[in-house]
Amino acid sequence: MKLTVNGEPHQHAGDGSIAALLEELGTKKEHTALMLNGDVVPSKDWKTTALVENDEVEMLVFVGGG
Amino acid sequence: MVKDIFEIGGEEFGSRLFLGTGKFSDTKTMVEAVKASGTELVTVALRRFNREQAEDDLYGPLSELKNVRLMPNTSGAMNAKEAVRAAMLGRELSKSPIVKLEIHPNPHHLLPDPIETYEAAIELVKQDFIVLPYIPADPVLAKRLEEIGCAAVMPLGAAIGTGKGLSTAGMIKIIIRDADIPVVVDAGLRAPSEAARALEMGCDAVLVNSAIAAAENPAAMAAAFKTGTETGRAAYLAGLMPTSEVALASSPLTNFLSKTDSE
Repeated sequence: MKLTVNGEPHQHAGDGSIAALLEELGTKKEHTALMLNGDVVPSKDWKTTALVENDEVEMLVFVGGG
Repeated sequence: MVKDIFEIGGEEFGSRLFLGTGKFSDTKTMVEAVKASGTELVTVALRRFNREQAEDDLYGPLSELKNVRLMPNTSGAMNAKEAVRAAMLGRELSKSPIVKLEIHPNPHHLLPDPIETYEAAIELVKQDFIVLPYIPADPVLAKRLEEIGCAAVMPLGAAIGTGKGLSTAGMIKIIIRDADIPVVVDAGLRAPSEAARALEMGCDAVLVNSAIAAAENPAAMAAAFKTGTETGRAAYLAGLMPTSEVALASSPLTNFLSKTDSE
């Protein structure tokens, strides 16, 4: 499945859930906040949210900031 | 002695020094500074996950710090809509409703956009966030933000990262006089004496980042800001003497010396 992840093209090979995508990319679940096509998806919905072709996913983490 | 704690949106704080975590040379230096500062609240920003820079992810190092709460900011937001979305993402990670609302679209001066900030604050309060807006030192805006339910206001001392100190002291005094919520000076401070002055004026806390991160020895500077903040607060509680336009002698002025001269 062809996705855009953090602005870059990404070919997803898993079951199409957000949980599978995170696993595929090696991101730590509790460290990551996620947006799907501009909407915030809470972590409790990651297993049940199905991605579809051309979805845009943004994965965000905490970094230093004032 | 009664413990001097204060409250923001139901959260209690003993330390009146809040710390930003940006601009540090590395995570270890930042963690050492946080510990030395005695802070109970640090700000963090959100950025895209980057596998090549996985060490930038601060969730791990910060969650190991005891008694330190995280306050995600909305930096990068150009308008109210983006700020609300950033706040929602931050809450996902921090598991806390406390948010530093900051919208400063102009990279030259990084001054807060009061209109977008006000609109975002309305929406975030509606969504049960504890909202701490970063604002220009404008007493009217500060009061309006209080009226719509912000938990504190954070007027700037000077523009972010400039180290120009409490250039807005006069306006901040008016904000403090009128406010029924905590006032936190955020941005512009350079020296611990400026933090002390803010607390002496009656500010409830200060938020410091660049002054500590860009110091030659960040942990030592964090400790100095801790002392400065505590000293300023102690002086405020002690009650500063009134000022006077004329000199008021502190020694007796009995004219016994000149008397012997004239005899």
